[in-house]
Amino acid sequence: MKRLIAAGIMLAGAAAAAGWVAAAPEPRSAASLAAHEADAENGKRLFTASGCQSCHLPGKDDKDADKSLPSGGHELVTPAGTFYPPNITPERETGIGGWSDIEFINAMKLGISPDGQHYLPAFPYTSYAQMSDADVLDIKAYMDTLTPVKAQNKAPELPLGLPVETIMRRGLGVWKMAAFEPKEFTPDPSRDEVWNRGAYLVTGPGHCAECHTPRDIFMGLDESRWLAGGPHPEGKGSVPSLRALKERGRYKDAKDLATALEFGETLGYDKMSSGGMGAVQTNMSKLPAEDRIAIATYLMSLD
Amino acid sequence: MISALKTSVRTLALGAAAASLAATVAVAGPIEDRQQAMKNVGKAMGQLAAIAKKEAAFDAAVVKSAGETIAENVKVFKTHFPEDSKEGPPETWSKAEIWANMDDFNAKADKSAEAAMAMAAVSEEANFMPAMGNLGGSCKACHEDYRRPKQ
Repeated sequence: MKRLIAAGIMLAGAAAAAGWVAAAPEPRSAASLAAHEADAENGKRLFTASGCQSCHLPGKDDKDADKSLPSGGHELVTPAGTFYPPNITPERETGIGGWSDIEFINAMKLGISPDGQHYLPAFPYTSYAQMSDADVLDIKAYMDTLTPVKAQNKAPELPLGLPVETIMRRGLGVWKMAAFEPKEFTPDPSRDEVWNRGAYLVTGPGHCAECHTPRDIFMGLDESRWLAGGPHPEGKGSVPSLRALKERGRYKDAKDLATALEFGETLGYDKMSSGGMGAVQTNMSKLPAEDRIAIATYLMSLD
Repeated sequence: MISALKTSVRTLALGAAAASLAATVAVAGPIEDRQQAMKNVGKAMGQLAAIAKKEAAFDAAVVKSAGETIAENVKVFKTHFPEDSKEGPPETWSKAEIWANMDDFNAKADKSAEAAMAMAAVSEEANFMPAMGNLGGSCKACHEDYRRPKQ
C-alpha cells in the first residue's frame, strides 16, 4: 500500500514536472528562417495594418513624448489586469534595438521574448502568428528605421496580486497549450486574390478577431463563431459582429465599407469610433485603397 | 343627452391623453433627453453625409439647417449628464469616463458645436469637405473616449 502511494506521488510529481517543462517557451531556431531581403516600405504598411502604434504609444502623463513613436507606456485596462505595452523603438537598453530576426519572429509569432518569457496575450501574437515570416521581417526592417527612444518599461498589474514573473515564465505556457495553436494563413484557392488579401489582413496583422470573435472557456478564440461579436475585452459593452453586414443593413457593399474604413465619422459612419475602433479606423485610413477594398470584400462575404 | 355624453367622453379622453403626455414628460430623464438630442444630430449628419458621399447635391440651405441643428443639439446634449445619470434604465452607452473628465467632455462638445456652426456657414461647395472633415473628426474624438460601442 505504502509503495502504491509512493508510486502515486512519484507519478503526480512526474506529471507536474512534465507540465512545468512543457509550459516552458519553445522558440524557433534561426535555422528555420529562409533567406529574405527585407522591404521596409511593405513593413510600414503592415506596421500600420497591425495597429502597433495604437497600443505602444507613450503614456498619457509623458507629455514631451513623440506620440508617433512606439515608445510604450500607455495603459491598457482590462479585467485581466492593467498592461503597459512596452517600448518597441529600436533603442538598445529599453527598446528592441539589436534584436535578431529570429528573436523578432519568436516574439511576433509565438509570443516568446528573447530572454525566454511568454508574453501576455494582450499582445496579439495569437493573430500575428498567421503572418508570413517575410512580412514580419519587413515590419522589423521598418521599425529599425524609427527614432530610438529611451523609455523604461512598466510591469503589468495583475488582479489579486498574481505573480507576474511566474505567470510569464510558465503559467502562460499552460494557457498556450490549451488555447493557442500557431498557424500561418493559407489562402483559399476557391477565392480570388482580393478576397484572400483581405482575409489575410483581417486574420493576421489586423487581428480583428481578438475583439470581434468571442472566446471559448479557455479564453482562446472560438473559431466556430468567427467574427460574430462578443463582450468587449475592456469589460463593459459589446463588440459588434462583422458577419452578415449587408443583410443587417450596416453597409451596402464592399465599396461602402471601404469608404467607412477610410473616412469613419468624417462621412457620418458612426459605428467606427467607439470601443477602440476609432484608432483602428485611423490606421485603416492610412492603408493603400486596395487594402481597404480587400478587407471590405472579405468581411462583406461573411454570412 | 347623447351629445352631452359624447362631450363628457371626449373631455375624459382628452384628459387621459393630457395626463399620459404629462406622465411621459415627467418620466423622461436626462438619458432620454441626451439620446433624443443625439438622434437629432444623427439625422442632420445623415443629410451632410449624403452630400459628402455625392448621393445628394450640395445645397447651401440644407447645409445651413443641418449645421445649426447639430450645433443646437450638441449644446443641449452636454447639459444632460447629471451625476445620477451614469446608469439607466434606459440602457445608456455613455462611459463613466465622462463624469471623471467632465471638463474635457464639455470642451469636446464645444468643439463639435463650433465645427457645426462653421458647417452652417458654408455657402460654397469648395469649402464643404474641409468643414465635414472637422465636424466628423470632432464627433469621432468624443466618441472614441466617451461612448461605449453598441451591437
